[in-house]
Amino acid sequence: MASTDEELVARSRGGDLDSFNQLVVRWERPIYALAYRTIGREEDARDVCQETFLRAFRALKGFKGEAKFSSWLYRITLNLCRDWVRRERRQPIAQAPEGVDLIELASEQTPSETIEDLVARNEISEAVARAMATLPDDQRTAIVLKEYHGLTFQEIADMLDCPLSTVKTRLYQGLTVLRRQLDREGVGKARW
Amino acid sequence: MCEEKDLLVSFLYDDLGNADRARFEHHLRRCTECRDELHALQGVRADLTAWAPPASELGFRIVQDPKVVALTPRRAEWRGWWTPAAGLAAAAVLVLAAASAIAHVEIHRGPDGVTVRTGWNSAPAATVAAEAPAATAVQPVAAMSVEPRRGADEAATLAAIEARLRALESSHDSAVRAASALSARASDAELIRRVRDMLTVSESKEHAEMALRVAQLNRDFDAQRTADLQRIQSSFARMNANFDADALAHRELANYVASSTKQK
Repeated sequence: MASTDEELVARSRGGDLDSFNQLVVRWERPIYALAYRTIGREEDARDVCQETFLRAFRALKGFKGEAKFSSWLYRITLNLCRDWVRRERRQPIAQAPEGVDLIELASEQTPSETIEDLVARNEISEAVARAMATLPDDQRTAIVLKEYHGLTFQEIADMLDCPLSTVKTRLYQGLTVLRRQLDREGVGKARW
Repeated sequence: MCEEKDLLVSFLYDDLGNADRARFEHHLRRCTECRDELHALQGVRADLTAWAPPASELGFRIVQDPKVVALTPRRAEWRGWWTPAAGLAAAAVLVLAAASAIAHVEIHRGPDGVTVRTGWNSAPAATVAAEAPAATAVQPVAAMSVEPRRGADEAATLAAIEARLRALESSHDSAVRAASALSARASDAELIRRVRDMLTVSESKEHAEMALRVAQLNRDFDAQRTADLQRIQSSFARMNANFDADALAHRELANYVASSTKQK
């Protein structure tokens, strides 16, 4: 049976490097995804992801387990993303490939999906990335944490140090902006 | 504008208690604006699922830096070998110097052969005798009275110095032996640590290579699948085209038959 995060953290705190590496394996994808959706650059997202685990490893002694390990990691990641934005002095940029690589797309294809569906999904993905890049940081972060990481309103509020109602307001405003942007791009119109 | 946005967001994410949900559902039945907005935001949420980060090779792993690991023991090894032996030798030299200073050893080569003398008491006379031969003429009695005592003392002090030197040598030898034993033990531990580090590095390399191979296999498999899929699709398209052509030919034939029958 797989160990829980708490067990692995306890063993890591005792100097067990393998336990910490199990945590890395478990959380590197979500952390990379969070970084990518926050800053929008693959290479930089990888760097942020790597730096997150390095910082977590160094600061592990100071982690008291008051919050979930994942929440702690998310917080480190968001701080690093904030530093990145400040350092680079630029807004997150949604990277959209110039051409559609069918081979690459096919790797994300579900068995029931045709190539046409896949291309359509890729277009929606690019439109969403562009629309997300237009959002203010706080709205984008709230949406990413809620939509892609399934955090509760309360967990987001704790992580961002803001009231619960603020989280809901940011979500509502962000989703409304996205709706307008996607509408403008003609994405998902048929659904509405 | 409807004021129930807070509830709308909670409802959208299914985060309402039973009572609040019932109340909002009741509200939705009457409020077209909220109903439309809810529907639209559900659509946005569905679109958001299409946005996935590009597949990136991660495979991070925290490892102890092999350079640091290799460097630290190497320093320890050098210290382990050099420091105690050299330190002890230096200490022995210092002790010897201090002992000779305390004993006030003086060595003279004269017509009577080599003379070794220790002790502070005879120093002034000896100094006078050695450094100022002219003074011996001034104080011949004193010089003569001192000499015999000096000869007896010299034999005793020489023996004492020899004994001390032997003691120092033996203590130095045992210290060196202890130091080399220590360094041998340190080098064993060092060797084990190095081997362990090499194993760790090699394991992590193997893991990385394995991950790369698996990723490559996945990519190959996916590429093959895509190519197969495209081939199947094009085959279907060809079959459809053939089928359409056949159907057209049949239709034309039927038309021809029908028209010729009518003519007849």
